[in-house]
Amino acid sequence: MESPLKICVITNNPLVVSGLPKQYLVDYADITYRQILVKVRDLVYAGYRLYTHPLSGSVKPNETPYKSVVVSRKPEKMEVAEAAIISASIETFDKFRPGKRELTAQIQKDFQLVDYALLCGALGLDAAAGLSIIANQKL
Amino acid sequence: MSYRVVHYINQFFANIGGEEMAHVAPELREGFVGPGMALNQAWKGEAEVVATIVCGDSYFAEHEKDAKAQILEWVKAQKPDLFIAGPAFNAGRYGYACANICAAVQDELGVPVLTGMYQENPGADLKNKVLIVSTANSAAGMRKAAPAMAKLAMKLMKGEPLGASCEDGYMNNGIRVNFFEKERGAKRAVNMLIKKLNDQPFETEYPMPSFDHVAPNKAIKDLSKATIAVCTSGGIVPKGNPDHIESSSASHYGEYCIAGVETLTSDAYETAHGGYDPVYANQNPNRVLPVDVLREFEKEGIIGKLHDYFYTTVGNGTAVASAKGFAMEYAQKLLEAGVHAVIMTST
Amino acid sequence: MKLELGYIQITDIQFSKESKVENGTLFVDADAVKAFMYEDDDVKEWVKSFSFDIAKPGESVRITPVKDVIEPRVKVEGPGGQFPGVIAKVDTVGSGKTHVLRGMAVVTAGKIVGFQEGIIDMTGPGADYTPFSKLFNFVVVAEPKEGYEDHKHEYEHAVRIAGLRAATFIGELGRNVQPDSSESFETLGIKEGIEKYPDLPRVAYVHMLQSQGLLHDTYVYGVDAKRTLTTILYPTETMDGAILSGNCVSACDKNTTYHHQNNPVVAELFAQHGKTLNYVCNIITNENVYLADKQRSSDWSAKLCRLLDLDGAIISQEGFGNPDTDLIMNTKKIELQGVKTTIITDEYAGQDGKSQSLADADPLADAVVTGGNANQVIILPKLDKVIGMLDYVDTIAGGHAGSLRPDGSIEAEIQVITGATNEMGFNTLSAR
Repeated sequence: MESPLKICVITNNPLVVSGLPKQYLVDYADITYRQILVKVRDLVYAGYRLYTHPLSGSVKPNETPYKSVVVSRKPEKMEVAEAAIISASIETFDKFRPGKRELTAQIQKDFQLVDYALLCGALGLDAAAGLSIIANQKL
Repeated sequence: MSYRVVHYINQFFANIGGEEMAHVAPELREGFVGPGMALNQAWKGEAEVVATIVCGDSYFAEHEKDAKAQILEWVKAQKPDLFIAGPAFNAGRYGYACANICAAVQDELGVPVLTGMYQENPGADLKNKVLIVSTANSAAGMRKAAPAMAKLAMKLMKGEPLGASCEDGYMNNGIRVNFFEKERGAKRAVNMLIKKLNDQPFETEYPMPSFDHVAPNKAIKDLSKATIAVCTSGGIVPKGNPDHIESSSASHYGEYCIAGVETLTSDAYETAHGGYDPVYANQNPNRVLPVDVLREFEKEGIIGKLHDYFYTTVGNGTAVASAKGFAMEYAQKLLEAGVHAVIMTST
Repeated sequence: MKLELGYIQITDIQFSKESKVENGTLFVDADAVKAFMYEDDDVKEWVKSFSFDIAKPGESVRITPVKDVIEPRVKVEGPGGQFPGVIAKVDTVGSGKTHVLRGMAVVTAGKIVGFQEGIIDMTGPGADYTPFSKLFNFVVVAEPKEGYEDHKHEYEHAVRIAGLRAATFIGELGRNVQPDSSESFETLGIKEGIEKYPDLPRVAYVHMLQSQGLLHDTYVYGVDAKRTLTTILYPTETMDGAILSGNCVSACDKNTTYHHQNNPVVAELFAQHGKTLNYVCNIITNENVYLADKQRSSDWSAKLCRLLDLDGAIISQEGFGNPDTDLIMNTKKIELQGVKTTIITDEYAGQDGKSQSLADADPLADAVVTGGNANQVIILPKLDKVIGMLDYVDTIAGGHAGSLRPDGSIEAEIQVITGATNEMGFNTLSAR
């Protein structure tokens, strides 16, 4: 696994901003799931390495609004296999009918949680511990 | 009241003659002729061939436009519930005619269509467009083919949903349909593996999308002496689309001169493509076909010369076979013109 | 290694003051089950209450949202116990004798997250798509304690353990019951196998485990599969609960614990063992999110296939999207080792069936078995009784706005049905 100092998390999930240790660089933007994928694609084309699978999780892309993808902090050389993965992910995203439902605040929180937990799993972090820290900070 | 069916057959199955009579023009006959009898028998009165159109295979191939126009007129007048053609087995031009006349009837008249042929018949290229029953490769297969076609035809006339291709006997048309197999998946997987291990033929349940890998040519050593052409499947054409390149499923490509053209202006060029939002391409067609930048490169001496012609088509649902055909033709022209490299843009 | 399964056919379940299996009927004292579940500290900490119900084949009953399905079993001879490393202590299982309460399952249900999913219809069109409609189901519905919102990991863990404990309790009731029938499964050592079946092709089962994180986990002897390297298992180990599901997402193609216990690929390979092939072992490999992990795990799958001198392998998948990449990586690398593969997957070809089915593809994957298109739309009629709750139907995978209609019917994709497009090849559903 790459050092936290070498990676950057591209995300639209606010829980990731508050839930990762300080040494992680988080690039947060309030944009859609698809826009996250496109942003990552452009980075990969520009030579940034793709470290996590953009379709992480079995939650379908038309259900959850949240997505976090890990890339390198600095550009290297474009990896064709990684470019293929992100392109195919966008194609997969597009074949799902757009979700029309209104998400309640609780369901949004749950989707944030799952995205966050999947990211932690990928980074070798303990998601439950991270959440406890956040919960304690709130008290 | 029974369903009305119009049947299309060639000169051979109408008992007019073989190759020597393939030139005969289309004619309309009342009721069934030849294989239509087997269809009628299978339908047991629920449906009936009310008219048969007979056309020579050479005639259709050589006068396709006229033949289609005439046949469409006749079919329209019959107000059929279904148009059925063939089966053509492995007869190439007959299969071509069956598939293409079916496509025309379906598109122009909105009448359900069905044909049948051997899977390697060139007409089967249209299997994603027209429903084609898979048959044996010779007319000896008529005894099986006619009832299979009749059964599927009845489903179409009744408006029942299609089963999976392997259930209903049609050629895989790219639309995935669920159905229940006799054996569970794990058993099918083990059986498939055993066949594969014993070098016996096996059939995958999901053919991987086919990839056509093209080995790249050697890099050009000195770009500053090279003639570079630019081509696109993004549909950039002179304003007004003079050659009427279709917005999808293009049937041809265009060749246009850009000698002396410094940049593609929105007054002079546009896109014919129907598969993406055309606003940005129409505002500045260089976004799809970068003539402006290539002219700059030409002036700066980065490239030797921009070729005087560009080739263009619409890649929106266009059959791979058609696209290959276009490219083979204009690649030859590019070679003859001494072009060293081509930039192909897609959208 | 040799395991004998003794099948006790269950033909009815009834609530009772006394728990026992008698003449094919399971009598359950729900309070005793509850007490046994609450013996676990995590269950005590996070689960406010349990309610119990019974659903029988053909009844007008809908169970949702389903978390896991578990078959009650008990180890009667040989080392270890059911669910080693989680319920029983860590000990290599898969040998000796195990009793199975066949024809029934423990189903855990209840909300964990707001988009919790999984429907089991006991009758009607939906019942055709789930294997669990054919079983007598003892349903445990869990209700979380207040404040669980910030502790979903812990709550998911508690419900998982509760289900396993309920199955353990019920399985134990079969310990002293004479099985109706039995079956033996034996795997030989590498050298023994070659000597006994010198002319048969050597085949293994490459079993891919969902391992992406919360609600997407699988446990092997209690170890989170995402922390494992690709390794080898005797096929009979999975029959004793060595692999269990912590996977709650994508109901149609998640492998429940029941699927792991009754792995159909294992069963079909054993059926051919010694006849047309020599079934060597299972190779378990994970489906992590980190691309380097995928690279490593698939490298190891291919390496083990080569090391074991295999001729062929069956590869099964779990889940949607990300695992397609693992599936194709495994297939490609194993084929490149000269080992022939057949793979089992399912498809997301869109509601119209016209889209690309998988998120990844390779021409070397030329032998594919499919569990069907998960996007197929189905109407599930209103049923008389709901076990669990319907308020989440609108948000489950494959559901979409309006999926719970005013008349109580549900319009959704078959994705919502537990086990519908199983990628171990559990069902007959397919697509062309």
